[in-house]
Amino acid sequence: MFKWMSGKKTPEGEKAHSLQIDELKEQLKKELVACSDLMFRTLKRNDKKIVICFVSSLIDKTGVDDYILKPIQENTQSGWSVEELAQILPITDLTGANQLNEIVMALIDGKTYIYSEGEPFGFLANLSNTVERSLSHAETESLVFGPKIAFTESLLGNVNIIRNNIKDPNLCMEDLAIGTRSKTSAKLVYIKGIADEANINTFRQRVSQLEIDHVQGTTVLGQLIEGNSWSVFPQLMTTELPDRITLALMSGRVAVLMDRSPDALYGPTPFFTFFESTEDVYMRWNMGFFLRILRLVATFLSVLLTPAYVAVLTYHYEVIPSPLLVSLGQSRSNVPFPPVFEAFLLEFVIELLREAGARLPTKVGQTMGIVGGIVIGQAAVEAGFTSNILIIIIALSALGSFTTPSYLMGTAIRIIRFPIILMAGFWGGIGIMVAFCFFIIHLLKLDTLGRPYLAPIYPLNLKDLGYSIFRFPSQFLSYRPVTNQPEDKERYSAKKAKEKKDVDE
Amino acid sequence: MNVNLHPKEGILFSAYLLFFVIHGVQTGVGIVGLPRIVFLEAKHDAWISVLVAGVLTSIVLWFIITMLKQYDSADLYGIHVDVFGKWVGNSLSIIYMLYMVGSFFIIFMNYIEIVQVWIFPNLATWQLALVLIFLTVYAVFGGIRIIVGVAFLSVVGTMWILVVAFVPLRYADFSHLFPIMNIGFGELLKGAKSTTLSMMGFELIMFVYPYVREKKKSMKYVQIANMYTTFLSAFVTLISIVFFAGDSLKATIWPVLSMFKIVRLPNLERFEFIAVSFWMLIILPNMCLYLWAASKGFSRVLKRKQKTGVWVFAILAFGATFFIQARYQMNMVTDLVAKSGFYAVICYPVFLSIIVLVKKWWTKRRNSHAKAS
Repeated sequence: MFKWMSGKKTPEGEKAHSLQIDELKEQLKKELVACSDLMFRTLKRNDKKIVICFVSSLIDKTGVDDYILKPIQENTQSGWSVEELAQILPITDLTGANQLNEIVMALIDGKTYIYSEGEPFGFLANLSNTVERSLSHAETESLVFGPKIAFTESLLGNVNIIRNNIKDPNLCMEDLAIGTRSKTSAKLVYIKGIADEANINTFRQRVSQLEIDHVQGTTVLGQLIEGNSWSVFPQLMTTELPDRITLALMSGRVAVLMDRSPDALYGPTPFFTFFESTEDVYMRWNMGFFLRILRLVATFLSVLLTPAYVAVLTYHYEVIPSPLLVSLGQSRSNVPFPPVFEAFLLEFVIELLREAGARLPTKVGQTMGIVGGIVIGQAAVEAGFTSNILIIIIALSALGSFTTPSYLMGTAIRIIRFPIILMAGFWGGIGIMVAFCFFIIHLLKLDTLGRPYLAPIYPLNLKDLGYSIFRFPSQFLSYRPVTNQPEDKERYSAKKAKEKKDVDE
Repeated sequence: MNVNLHPKEGILFSAYLLFFVIHGVQTGVGIVGLPRIVFLEAKHDAWISVLVAGVLTSIVLWFIITMLKQYDSADLYGIHVDVFGKWVGNSLSIIYMLYMVGSFFIIFMNYIEIVQVWIFPNLATWQLALVLIFLTVYAVFGGIRIIVGVAFLSVVGTMWILVVAFVPLRYADFSHLFPIMNIGFGELLKGAKSTTLSMMGFELIMFVYPYVREKKKSMKYVQIANMYTTFLSAFVTLISIVFFAGDSLKATIWPVLSMFKIVRLPNLERFEFIAVSFWMLIILPNMCLYLWAASKGFSRVLKRKQKTGVWVFAILAFGATFFIQARYQMNMVTDLVAKSGFYAVICYPVFLSIIVLVKKWWTKRRNSHAKAS
């Protein structure tokens, strides 16, 4: 609003820099405000000057020494014109440039600018050196089985991993710039011929139309481009596992990788995708089937167990058979609180334990287990704060929520438990059902990239159930999931697979 | 007003979902009390009465679908205008809308009554009404695709209750059924008529029809849905007859729930508490569809936003809850809606479709005459 008062000029668009080296230095210094690590190295020979500009923190200094300075100094017989320089510099990534803006952006990017005085343009050489951590194990989505490699913060490295996973010439990587100020580079990844055009377009459109100064990573990007930002349920999935992205791409989904972000964002991801683990695919199908069902049941119980306890003990104790009621009554006889309060208290403690465990350094983390397990569990019962049975129930539901492979979905499930407990405290079973109906309607209303969120269930797609809720053996999965609307529908020819050999053939 | 309705391609739903819509909207609060009501008329042959009712509704459905097929993609509001002209047609539409709001009202009021009788005697009617209406409004705002989804999940999610209904068969005395068919034909028909409350709902096909993608298949799925509902109702009635002694069935207002009492699992007794809670999921699509259809009329007939219609009818229904204080009033209103339902659902659509068919035949004949001459 006060732009006109600050007196700053809006940066001019296209402008070639000065042909005088001294002026060029001044121009660059002015553009890169207070950039103390902007460095110039000037060489002189026979009245001809050459300048090498770079931001010292971003470049590989030995590279500049070896590949720029050394060749220029050693090749005394050749001149310093643009053509001759191009011949002697042993650098792959070398482009001509003379626009001031372009050069400034390139310097920030870690490139080196080589300019010989009087020439129409100079060279941008890529000798950048970014600080990266090396590849490591997946931390948030840990696996027992399957590839262990995880994405890192380097976009180039991540692209490298994906390209190595899928050696398909149709694998497309479109460049995107995210953030009007930060201009983080990102890539839209999909396989042409498998991914649905509509999905690609929606994704591309939503990302490129984003008008925001800076996006802090793919998880934030996901929140910015999903359909309903009020909902507690994540509608697009992020993962740090390259093989998960590979699977997703091969089944016709679209992914976005962002520089400086160790997760990839992909979609469309309906609700049940969040309960799939790559391990289900690597395991034998019957084990995968079992684990997937186990996870869904665990989630269901995790949401429903505590509210059911509250509802039953507050209003409907007739539901419990009398032998069980006796032991329940005994364990609750010391507890002075109503069941809602008791449940809230213990759920709160569990959430505290989880949060503290996540914040603490790993060395102290072990203490948490002792504090949580013995001190709180045992002492709370003996002090008459809670009943033993509730401790079991809360532990079960906490365990259940941790089985969800997606950390975001696991958190969503833990959060929706609280309103349901509250409703159970109000109206018992009726309250639980009210909350349940609400969540059903809510999930029906959500979408992921414009596709229904409850996808293979509603709209019902019997074929895709084998991919999402159950896991069928691969001889039944000759097609790609229909929900993603893949263009190439077949994974292998089902007809050929069904051909059977006769005896002794 | 346009006679035909052409919704966007994206909100159309597949024809097979009509099965869930029609079946979902037919089973609601009615089926809980159905066995007794039919038993009062048709005695131990009540289950045959239900089957007869199913056949009759199936015939009515045939009439309705044949009528809808005469048009490209019309709903009842459009047909009214086409057949009766603007004024009469729209007035009839408004009457029909009122009937649907009435159905919406008695559905949740009956459910609240069940909750008050079985679980919370002191629960204020308006509180639960407010929550139920809020849920319905929330769903209706999502549009027909969400409502069909609710119907689908409701039918799929409550199918397991059917398994529980087999449990009372252990205590069944099949001699209650005999002698079969010794009741007069008149009583049988009377019994069939009394099933209206649990059979009605299929008339909503006249409103969702424009939103079906493969309209040609709609007859099949609607008939299957009606058949399934009929068999379900007949099955429940049959179980109630063999489970209860004749006199006690007469005195049991909600025999289905009473039968659930005896279901017993190792860690669960008094199953009816769970059933009553779960019944909310069963009545949810009914409420959504009735409110949706009525509010659709609000936008079609009165040319206002449908959202306004949803709020108007929701507030109207909520306001009406305060006028009902006692059981006998509730009974009166339910009877009133059931009776008007009999005319609105059974008689009127048949009458209307005959008019439409005659009109089509007449215009066709006149056109061919005009061509010939």
